[in-house]
Amino acid sequence: MLLLVSACDIEKVGIATTEARLATHGLLSASALTQVVLLERTRNGTVQSIAPPFDLEDPLLTDEGIAESGAVITLSTPSGANILAREDYPANGDGSGRGVYRFQLPGVALERGGTYRLTVLTTKGEVIKGETVVPGGATALVAEPRAFDRSRDTASISWPAAAGARSYYVRIETPFGPRAFFTDSTRVRLTGKLRNADIRLLPHVFIPGFPQAVTVSAVDSNFYDWYRTRSDPLSGRGLLNHVSGGFGFFGSLVRIRFEELHVVAPQAEAVAGNYRVIGSQDELAIAPYLTLSVYVESPSARSDQPDALSGQTHRRVTFSSPGCELCGVLGTAQNGRITLYFLPGWSASDTAEVLTGEIRGDTIVGQYRRAGGIAHFVKQR
Amino acid sequence: MARKTHYDGGTSHPDSLTLRSSLHLGARIALLGLVPALLSAQDGATGIVAGRVTARGVDTGTALVAAGATVTIAGTVASALTGPDGRYLLERVRVGPATVRFRLLGYRTVERIVRVSAGDTARVDVVLQSDAQLLSAVRTQARAVDAELFGASPNVSTIAMGSAAMAGVPSVGEPDLVRVVQLLPGVVARNDYNTGLNVRGGEGDQNLVLLDGYPVYNPFHFGGLFSTFMDATVGGIELMTGAPPSRYGGRLSSVLEVRSLDDPRTGIHATADISALAATGRLSGAFAGGRGTWSVAGRRTYADALQSIFTNNVFPYHFRDLHARGTYELPGGARLSVTAYEGKDVLDANLAEFATDSVPTKAAGGKWAYDWGNLVVGSTLSKELGPVRSSLFGWALGDSTTLEQRVSTSGFSTRLDLGEGTLTQRSAIRDVRFSGSVLTRGMSHDRSIGYEVAAHRIRYASGSTQTGTTGFDLEQRPNTGVLWIDDLWRVSSRWLVQGGVRAEALSGRDWAGLSPRLSVKYLATPDVAFTLQAGRVTQWMQSLAGDGALRYFDIWIASDSFIPVATAWHYVAGMERRLSVGSVRLEGYVKRYDRVLDANWSEDPGRRGDEFFAAQGLSYGMDLLARWQPANGPGGWLAYSYGLSTRTLDSVRWSPGNDRRHDLDLVATWPLARYRLGAHFGFATGTPYTPIEGQIVRRVYDPTRDHWGTGDPRLLLEPIGGARNSLRFPPTHRLDLDVSREFLFRGATLAPYLSVVNVYYAKNVFVYVYDYSTDRPTRRAISQFPVLPSLGVRIGF
Repeated sequence: MLLLVSACDIEKVGIATTEARLATHGLLSASALTQVVLLERTRNGTVQSIAPPFDLEDPLLTDEGIAESGAVITLSTPSGANILAREDYPANGDGSGRGVYRFQLPGVALERGGTYRLTVLTTKGEVIKGETVVPGGATALVAEPRAFDRSRDTASISWPAAAGARSYYVRIETPFGPRAFFTDSTRVRLTGKLRNADIRLLPHVFIPGFPQAVTVSAVDSNFYDWYRTRSDPLSGRGLLNHVSGGFGFFGSLVRIRFEELHVVAPQAEAVAGNYRVIGSQDELAIAPYLTLSVYVESPSARSDQPDALSGQTHRRVTFSSPGCELCGVLGTAQNGRITLYFLPGWSASDTAEVLTGEIRGDTIVGQYRRAGGIAHFVKQR
Repeated sequence: MARKTHYDGGTSHPDSLTLRSSLHLGARIALLGLVPALLSAQDGATGIVAGRVTARGVDTGTALVAAGATVTIAGTVASALTGPDGRYLLERVRVGPATVRFRLLGYRTVERIVRVSAGDTARVDVVLQSDAQLLSAVRTQARAVDAELFGASPNVSTIAMGSAAMAGVPSVGEPDLVRVVQLLPGVVARNDYNTGLNVRGGEGDQNLVLLDGYPVYNPFHFGGLFSTFMDATVGGIELMTGAPPSRYGGRLSSVLEVRSLDDPRTGIHATADISALAATGRLSGAFAGGRGTWSVAGRRTYADALQSIFTNNVFPYHFRDLHARGTYELPGGARLSVTAYEGKDVLDANLAEFATDSVPTKAAGGKWAYDWGNLVVGSTLSKELGPVRSSLFGWALGDSTTLEQRVSTSGFSTRLDLGEGTLTQRSAIRDVRFSGSVLTRGMSHDRSIGYEVAAHRIRYASGSTQTGTTGFDLEQRPNTGVLWIDDLWRVSSRWLVQGGVRAEALSGRDWAGLSPRLSVKYLATPDVAFTLQAGRVTQWMQSLAGDGALRYFDIWIASDSFIPVATAWHYVAGMERRLSVGSVRLEGYVKRYDRVLDANWSEDPGRRGDEFFAAQGLSYGMDLLARWQPANGPGGWLAYSYGLSTRTLDSVRWSPGNDRRHDLDLVATWPLARYRLGAHFGFATGTPYTPIEGQIVRRVYDPTRDHWGTGDPRLLLEPIGGARNSLRFPPTHRLDLDVSREFLFRGATLAPYLSVVNVYYAKNVFVYVYDYSTDRPTRRAISQFPVLPSLGVRIGF
């Protein structure tokens, strides 16, 4: 406590750059169409890290990575065959995909219990090697949808033990980032009150109005060790590294359970309910959002702070405005004032539109911050 | 002597006594046993001095039995302590005139000159008068406690200090005993934010901390900033930085014995200490005509309460302590004492209540709870038998014998609960301990034999009630048994020898060990002594806290079939000179760790056996302590330590994080008529640290979409450490000042005080933070204490 109060910066100096070492993240997934290995350099002070909007197709450069291009990456299969990876970068043709190496090996072809060996050879002659044994277990390819009232339901998920699995990786997608943990058990019980211990504010895991995927994956010891350990921020010790010649890991994962929970909750509060946009024919023709489902996600713990809202909206998808048709909504309400954040999907990491306004009886009247214009949403009985 | 050899599949555990190690150990014991025999000397005609000591309180005038008073013959090593009935006996006193000196903490020293006749007993009864004082009956007069030990025992690597000697040392927010201990030679503080003790190259979990003889497992509050000992309850300390006498065991590096303050004054007396950090109150007094004493004390920090009164913000932390102590003289010379301590750190919050800021979803925040604390309850029953001419266990009982029986329970627990059961982690250690001893004081020997049996319960578990999963669940129930013998032999007027053996056994690992201890003191003159010490120490309880710069608290795990018992040998040689108003002591030491456990940062809590690495270690150096303790005027001490420590594992050698080369502390206090001034200056070479040589981003795979990365704005950035502890922080230095003034007000004493830490704002480095994300890497230095003033007031009546 005193440290927080009294410690302060007393010096900031430039230091010499260090050796930029190779780092790889390689994973064989039994449910993936192709197998991807990321190759980059550790940060050593020679590159300014930048973070443009994240692009799933370019997960290194758009996420502050220092991509390593031009490497020769080979995968040796249990049968002795060697598969050469191809880097996305030149193939994409748009400059993206640097450091993203892809094996044309569908997950269903992975030999369970078989040992796969990865060899990376860079243009400078550096070599990284790693190996993994793919766990057993039937692959869950399609999500099973399920309604989930977080006020009363508990999601009980069980699975048969997977041969060769070091642990099971349970991951729940949430708008604020995933909640993930390992378990050696073959079942979990997810209550509606579950909080996300991976996020500092400890928000709820299950957010009303949102579809949330739950996956359970059997993982090998490389995956388990790499993600269960952390480096001590002061000494840099602790992270377990299972590749030779660099940092990172090469592991394997078999998704053995895949569920999608459509989360709801009682809509007892005044602001909660299902709304529909109203207006003239001309207004309706251009209204960007057509319906609203609003829940009080968390009532305020203090009188001077707003309630937290969540929900979903039907969005008008047009040629000039592609994207999700059903999207997530987050917001706040306090003393009759309401602010709604329309998400471009189901992640709170970005916002497509903001509506600020008032709650007048059964009607939400607000103004769009980006597109402009007034919107009226009337609660449906 | 019980000895057990353990075989496990044909391979003995490295810490059990194999044939080879037994021979090795046997040779050492034999060598140590021969030393006393070589030290015999001839004495001339002698007589006996005996009598009774009582003490008179300043406010009541009632004379009370003075138990524990030290009685010495000036210029010799003859020494005795008064028993529970106040009686004492000094044998083999040379005939002729002798000055008998009586000392008791809180009372004026009394000297009587007697003439001792050959074969006769000279009886001297005295009444000690209480020192005049203002705040507390027994606290304000400096007393050279260690002077009493100089001639009474070899006292190697032992520093005794009364609470009065610690008063006036500048404090950080709150007067703190352990911060004073950090200023003693051989003791290294990792940094300003840590009250953990690193003694002669040892790790922070290698110290046995005792409150009135009962273990305190985690004697720190949040982050190690403060110790659990309230200043108002401390009567004195004894710090043993070498191999302690054989009655102590279980830790490799040191023993810190904290003695509660007893108040012999009748009536109800109160003290209060209101600092910038906390409020402490204590009620105390004597009862039953002085046959008993009692005290209760409590402390609580109040930053959380102040925050809620004056602002909308939430400060979710406080700690509290409760301490109770009672003593009672039973009929027949028996004495019963009870000590109880309970402390708690509470770091609970509902994140949704935090005031703020622009985050619109603050209401969605969850609750977290982080609590930890100690509980200690112990009782001691002792009885003085007086001269008994019979035998026990083949030994002739001496002219006085003290029987002692103890029973106690100590525990420490932690509880972390994130999100109301989403993620919980608990650790707990609790013991129930029975111990006893027989001490016989004879003409030339003070022999003691003792035992200790303890049952421990240890639990360390993690899981989630919200997901129905268990991360890990470690439960241990080790039992221990100890037998020890100790002999303090006053060989002659020049030689003192203290030797003993400690035999320990531990269930769970099926381990047994013998730890011989030997200390020798040669008084070249009545004021100059040379000392030697050798001894083996063991530790079968280890902390998972590791070797980091901050030590929040310890999570204890016992040695079992996976975790070996740590062992070390201490070797010490020293010289001490008593001066008229102080002393100078110089000691060189070597501590060789046969096995020291290094916590594994990457341990898999779900599996057993990887919690620690068993390394070898070596620490050596020298400690200098110069104390001046005049009856009046300025007092204090100068402590200088030079040390060098290394650890080796699989041919990799590193210096532990506490390895300082030079550590200098100068402490001075100056009591004036109404004012009291205190100052501390410290200089120390920097401790080792591991440089960060780069950073790696941990990419996350999304098994839902089978993609790398999710766009989650949180980037898992991991530092890459270089060679372990291969660099050192710059040297540190700091000046602290303290001033207080006493006012008398309607029979009460008020003493406001001001402490200022780091007066001239020395920019001492706490840690470095690296950033390799730019095209010009940077290193930021985070400071230790800046200029840190503390205000408070002590009240006594």
